[in-house]
Amino acid sequence: MSDHDRMPHPAGTLARSLAEERLTRRRFLGRIAALGAGGAMMPLLAACGGGATASPTATPAVGTPGPSGPTPSAEPTPTPTPEAELYVYNYADYIGEEAIPSFEAKYGVKVTYDFFDTYETMTAKIATGNSGYDVTFATGVDVPGFLARDLVQPLDLNLIPNRVNLGSEWQSPAYDPGNAHSMPYMWWTTGFAYDTEKITEDLTSWAALWDARWKGKMAMLDDYREAFGAALIRLGHSVNTTNDAELDAALALLQEQKPLLRTYTTDDIGVLSSGDAWLAHAWGSDVYQVVAERPSVKYVIPEEGGIRGSDAMVLLAGAKHPIAASLFINHMLDAQVSAANTNYIGYMGPNQAAREFIDPAILDDPTVNPDKAAVDKLQELLDLGPDLQKYQERWTRLRAGA
Amino acid sequence: MSRDRTRDATFLVPGLAWLVVFFAVPLAIIFVVSLGTRDQYGGVLLDDLGLRNYLRALEPDFLPTVVNSLRYSALTTIFSIAIAYPIAYWISRYGGRRKTLLLILVMLPFWTSWVIRTYAWMTILRDNGVVNGILEGLGIIDAPIALLNTDLAVVLGMTYGFLPFAILPLYVSIDRLDPSLVAAARDLYASGRVAFWHVTLPLTMPGVIAAALLTFIPAMGDFVTPDLLGGAQTITIAKVIQTLFLSSKDWPFGSALGFLLIVTTIVGTVGTLRILRREVIG
Repeated sequence: MSDHDRMPHPAGTLARSLAEERLTRRRFLGRIAALGAGGAMMPLLAACGGGATASPTATPAVGTPGPSGPTPSAEPTPTPTPEAELYVYNYADYIGEEAIPSFEAKYGVKVTYDFFDTYETMTAKIATGNSGYDVTFATGVDVPGFLARDLVQPLDLNLIPNRVNLGSEWQSPAYDPGNAHSMPYMWWTTGFAYDTEKITEDLTSWAALWDARWKGKMAMLDDYREAFGAALIRLGHSVNTTNDAELDAALALLQEQKPLLRTYTTDDIGVLSSGDAWLAHAWGSDVYQVVAERPSVKYVIPEEGGIRGSDAMVLLAGAKHPIAASLFINHMLDAQVSAANTNYIGYMGPNQAAREFIDPAILDDPTVNPDKAAVDKLQELLDLGPDLQKYQERWTRLRAGA
Repeated sequence: MSRDRTRDATFLVPGLAWLVVFFAVPLAIIFVVSLGTRDQYGGVLLDDLGLRNYLRALEPDFLPTVVNSLRYSALTTIFSIAIAYPIAYWISRYGGRRKTLLLILVMLPFWTSWVIRTYAWMTILRDNGVVNGILEGLGIIDAPIALLNTDLAVVLGMTYGFLPFAILPLYVSIDRLDPSLVAAARDLYASGRVAFWHVTLPLTMPGVIAAALLTFIPAMGDFVTPDLLGGAQTITIAKVIQTLFLSSKDWPFGSALGFLLIVTTIVGTVGTLRILRREVIG
């Protein structure tokens, strides 16, 4: 495949440049709000000026052409006329270099691609109902909540024939049966990582993060579902439990751990790369980038299990450019586009058809692409609805307490 | 006479209007929100107003964070003034023609974002950062010292950030001091130290108070520095409020804490000014 040859050079150089730029996907850059707000104001002002809303042409014919297996690239037939513009809201550095330009060239749509500094900023913005954006990237577990609050609208699956490219387990995920309101984008795992030069023994259990020998050299993720998840898995409970006794036990465990920690952070990349932490609660694909800077770091999915999650593309309720948005989502599910995204950002996609185009170094890397045995040990975070308060209230007590 | 007073009073209007619109009204909003409860998705419900959030704020769980806030703010204020006073004094007495330039240099850091400057401190204080690099390079230490994520880092970062706030009011106050008073003290056989302690310092006390307030109050509300430079144990009340608004999505409780912070700050400020005005300024 000539396209494959021209693709970015394997992991090393890419990951190095990413590590130096510091992937900000999970980093808590809340205070760059001024820059974020400035950048984010633009689409709102532009939207006020009015984007041309094309009236959709006749709904394209149902069904993808011929083959029942995944086709690398399919378009809805007949191809509808998209609107002239599209507004996408995503984490920084969470897309391949060519994904947007190739989409713009193919459909003649002008894409405004904005970054949010933190996930909370994005949820706050779309909660207003008229953020000015059409597509955003929500964590899978949040999709039911967004749906309940009418923040996302159903997808027109006729416009997204590439969905057959998704692996079988992604065709109907628990958080969104039938992918009626979202399309999976990337998935990831959570475990921990440690510097094998500083910690010479083989660590395999969550208990390592509670070991007083590494006092002051450990970091936990500043994310309450993840932190409680680690404690709950260690206690042998479900990461989605709403049982007060189990949650209290998890809180007690986390409170025991707190004096041993150096910090809570979403910048797992920074804290491991710089050596501030020898042992850190981390997302697998982030460790992929740490390794480029500090090769002695090793990622572990603990024997008790870990967490897996995913991000999904959603079509926002107030979207002014739904056709362009659907075509964009379809474009991202294209096998080659998905593979290029994975090759660039180091996250694994749910796209089965894309596998043949993904860099073998990434496919073979267990931090990014763990095998089925490892994946089966992982629990998926589910939406807890109002019971989420139980976690949030205990998180406040954990962070505020001594 | 009364026409002058009315005319003078109208000059207060823009300032008062600004204060009302951007301070009094938001404060009222915060207070109302603090009486409510959160709904399941993190929104605010105002149907069942009550003081439960304030009772919750008084729980002993939050005492360490309040103590942390007070500790960092107090240390920051003391260090800021200790460093700012000599600088302001020097600029005023020996700045000469270059006074304006020196003052501009003092204010120059503000042209860069606060967050970026704090990030710079992270680079300096990290285990593999500038300070540790130099110390290891010179052979003074074998392993990096933990500088980042400590109380030291937080106070350092805050002092650095608030220093210009301290320098400027001190400069104004020192500049207004009549040097002939100091000369008179020297003529009366006072040593340099005695002259400073009995003449300069008391007369510049208004500047010291202003500098203290301008440092202490923002320091209490700073959540950026403890977040970036601090660690798991350096939680301040400002950081708790931030967590409540963004992660825990408990806006009513966050508002209650915020309102308490503002009210205690106002009460403390007014009280301090009253006492010191009476005793120091006379």
